[in-house]
Amino acid sequence: MSQQLRERLSKIGLGVWFAAFLVFLYGPVLVMLVLSLQSEKGGSGFPAVGLPSGYWYNYLTGPNSSAIRSAVVVSLVLALIVGVIGGALALSLIMAYRRMSRRTATILLYVVLLALMTPGILLGLGMILWWKLLGLSPSLYPAGLGVHVVWALPFGFLVMLSIFNRYDVAVEEAARDLGASVMQTFTRVTLPIIWGGVFGAALFAFTLSWNEFERTLLVSTTNTLPLEIYGELTSAALQPNLYALGVITTFGTILIVFLMLIAVALMVRRTARTQAAAFQTDEEAVTLAEQARAAPALEGA
Amino acid sequence: MTEPELTPTKPATEGLPALEPALPGDIALSDAAGAEIYGEEKGAGLALRAPPGASKLVTLLWMLPGALWLLIFLIAPVIVVLVVSFFTGTITGFKEVFTTSNYSAIFSSSSTYLSTLEGVARNSAIVTAVCLVIGYPVAYFLAVKVKKVQYAFGLFLIALAPFFTSTLIRAEAWVPTMAINGAVNSILKDIGIIHHPLGILLFSNFAVIVALVQLLVLFMVTPIFFQLAALDQSAIEAARDLGASGFRVFMNVTLPLTRAGIMIGCVFVFVLSMGDFATYKLVGGGSVGSIGLNIQNLVSLLNYPQAAAQAAILVVAMAIGVVLLLRFAKLQDQV
Repeated sequence: MSQQLRERLSKIGLGVWFAAFLVFLYGPVLVMLVLSLQSEKGGSGFPAVGLPSGYWYNYLTGPNSSAIRSAVVVSLVLALIVGVIGGALALSLIMAYRRMSRRTATILLYVVLLALMTPGILLGLGMILWWKLLGLSPSLYPAGLGVHVVWALPFGFLVMLSIFNRYDVAVEEAARDLGASVMQTFTRVTLPIIWGGVFGAALFAFTLSWNEFERTLLVSTTNTLPLEIYGELTSAALQPNLYALGVITTFGTILIVFLMLIAVALMVRRTARTQAAAFQTDEEAVTLAEQARAAPALEGA
Repeated sequence: MTEPELTPTKPATEGLPALEPALPGDIALSDAAGAEIYGEEKGAGLALRAPPGASKLVTLLWMLPGALWLLIFLIAPVIVVLVVSFFTGTITGFKEVFTTSNYSAIFSSSSTYLSTLEGVARNSAIVTAVCLVIGYPVAYFLAVKVKKVQYAFGLFLIALAPFFTSTLIRAEAWVPTMAINGAVNSILKDIGIIHHPLGILLFSNFAVIVALVQLLVLFMVTPIFFQLAALDQSAIEAARDLGASGFRVFMNVTLPLTRAGIMIGCVFVFVLSMGDFATYKLVGGGSVGSIGLNIQNLVSLLNYPQAAAQAAILVVAMAIGVVLLLRFAKLQDQV
């Protein structure tokens, strides 16, 4: 068998493997999609009845679903707050990380990885015990908020790290050399270049909080959407309304993630272009110098 | 008075936007990969070049909010679990009196904890192995066989998307897929492979393993994919030019160079499946025990010290598993 033919066969074989992998990943969601489109008489299994119908999607707007709708609001508000705090903390941690000695930076990295690896149920348990020791009773705020941010932080941190891996610190050096203060350098040079990463980190945090379940279960006394879904899954008989809800949240989340990734990718491209331009011409440096001169009031010690 | 210049992680691969370390594992991956591929001192691969004017106070101010948050909501809870596991249980919770009885209860002959732990550890090992077998070819296909970087990334993102949706809903989706009247059974019956629906597909250990593999396989694919994508192709070409067959190149060059990615993937999958709780509950249907379920039950009975002790032993077991995994990798290295 020739080398080329073998190469070709292995490519086709691996391609088939990948296609099967996608079926494995998406299959159950598609099953849920089909069953969610049943009519009123539809049940939790096959054969599917009365396809296609929007009955179970309308059901979610009806009176039987008010608990779900209020859980949606709870989750949405929480996810927005987690997004803002998660993005801000990811930014401040990476700014510190860049300045640390290597040993401290390694410790920080391990703590961040610990946040990623600690089992959710353990963190939830630790949180209620810690709150009891302090004489507080656990609730969604601040205990639930706290563990959500802890879960979101490693992802945001890794996003920021990837941005800074492709960031040329020379632009900051230039700004400093031209007389900008530390504060000015951050707000006028660093932040405009990396804000896309901060936005990405915040969106990650939003998505992860919106879907978080295991860390919230023990801590929260208010039902977030995943807690509400869990309650319905484990108490009542399975109805297609939960499939409809699953389909909406799944595709909604996927949409958000894709928009976010596109935004970050565009941002990275722009960063590279801005920086390249800065080095090809002196214009950028001149602008920075002018900006620095134009705002003497901000000049710090 | 400048900081020693630290080398960047990887060559900036053209066309690969900075999406990658958005993913767990990549960070440690680039660390190990950098050290391995470029022969740098370990750890150097992660460092960013320090910005100018880095005074200690500024660093501290940047550090403070995040450090406080992690201290209050991560470090303290984990330590408190360890501490409370040595407290005495009462009807309403615990009192601060030292005891080891929570641990002796776990190791007593009437306890089912160790057999549950054994089952969870066995499942986690199986899940890890299956994820590797399924995930490696997927990563290899995307990183090596798909020539255009944009296509490789596009396909990778399509595979990655489900990771961002709720594990709860992804676990739930297995119920209509695998139930007696589920999709798999009705398809198998329609094409005539089986005549009676298979009951083993749902609410069984088998179902738990399948669902966990689906939930966690991307933690395996991702680090391997990025390491393969960053791989120096000249090593492979050199081996080819020297007459090695495709299989030998893979075994002797590609596979050893991606060992770090494999290890990171294995550690992630193993650790996350050891601590799993929702999948066991929803897909295992109560017939399969897990430590996560145990802990939740104990908390609802207000037996906090016992729950804490079980959690502490779970963490020890996870650590042992990780150490064994790393040992195993070292052993392979010497052969």
